[in-house]
Amino acid sequence: MTPQADLGIFAISVAAGLIGALAGVGGGILVIPALTIGFGVDFRLAVGASIVSVIATSSGAAAAYVRDRMTDMRVGMFLELATTTGAVSGALLAAVIAPAFLYVLLGVVLLGSAGMQVARMGEETPPKEPPSPLASRLRLESSYPDRKLGREVPYSARRIPLGFVLMWIAGVVSGLLGIGSGVLKVLAMDAAMRLPIKVSSATSNFMIGVTAAASAGIYLGRGDVDPQVAAPVALGVLVGALLGARLLHHVSNRTVRLVFVPVLVAVGIETIGRGVGFGI
Amino acid sequence: MTPERFRTVVSAVLIVGVAVSAALIGAGFVAALATGWQGSLLGTTSATTAATTDFSNLPARLVSLEPAAIAQLGLLTLLATPVTRVAASVLGFALEGDRLYSAITLAVLLILLTSIFVLR
Repeated sequence: MTPQADLGIFAISVAAGLIGALAGVGGGILVIPALTIGFGVDFRLAVGASIVSVIATSSGAAAAYVRDRMTDMRVGMFLELATTTGAVSGALLAAVIAPAFLYVLLGVVLLGSAGMQVARMGEETPPKEPPSPLASRLRLESSYPDRKLGREVPYSARRIPLGFVLMWIAGVVSGLLGIGSGVLKVLAMDAAMRLPIKVSSATSNFMIGVTAAASAGIYLGRGDVDPQVAAPVALGVLVGALLGARLLHHVSNRTVRLVFVPVLVAVGIETIGRGVGFGI
Repeated sequence: MTPERFRTVVSAVLIVGVAVSAALIGAGFVAALATGWQGSLLGTTSATTAATTDFSNLPARLVSLEPAAIAQLGLLTLLATPVTRVAASVLGFALEGDRLYSAITLAVLLILLTSIFVLR
């Protein structure tokens, strides 16, 4: 790598960390194509660097989100039970399932949910609904300080079994395909469980590091993590994630969705692309 | 433990993990740019001019102060940060007196460790 290339990778990684922290995703969607197309990095090493980028985004952003009460730690831990079990199932299923069909299916689901997201664009906080008994029993209700709205916003998780199943699927998908785990987590919390989008994004950020760490051993063992590529990515993403975590307080929920939807569409298109044989 | 204190501790685990790994990755990366990726800061040729993607001989390469190895140690610290955070949360929920969430988090930790060390 030339110093110019290192700087370029660093700069793109800052952007990936910033977007990742706001949208609740790992930034692999930006890092992988930038490395392979922009800098001619081998696809395998780009995926290895993207695992590092997910953990860097997650740890960097969640450090601030946990402190600022944006991350709901109970929601996060409860759902991590589903994602980690799903990731293990996915890794075991990988031997018996042809992923091409799954890539296409996942891509179609993501593009479909992008449509639903657009329909919900104007919604600042989820509509009030009667409290769910399961949410109080599992203590999946709380509130977060919305500095943009200037008030404390209470929330209570809806449709918890559905959210749990979707999170399990998110885990299977990330164990099997290694993509899309962040967007699926945000969708499960926002669309199914009706948590506020900022809480969904901050809690997804909290969770994706654990999902990625579960499979990191495999990538390290295979020799996919090259510090020449992963070091500038990790440093850039950390800077971006710390900036993004500060920015979240100053933007509206609508803006968070405006960042999330293009990411959702991009992951959907890239996933379908991989299913039909393009790896970028 | 109060919920506020619990949050502070979890946040601190993440900040320390991120800061230590960034320092190691940054130092290793800058040193590697200065000396070349396969060299050693001690001036001797590293016994292991193996690919920088190999993590198995890391201790020996750290002893000879190979810049790439320092960056690799930083990457390992980064990858260990979420796992440490989960472990700290088991304790946090327990000290908060929340047995349900302490058990849930312990289960997550065990699944996580299994997938890291057993499934590969």
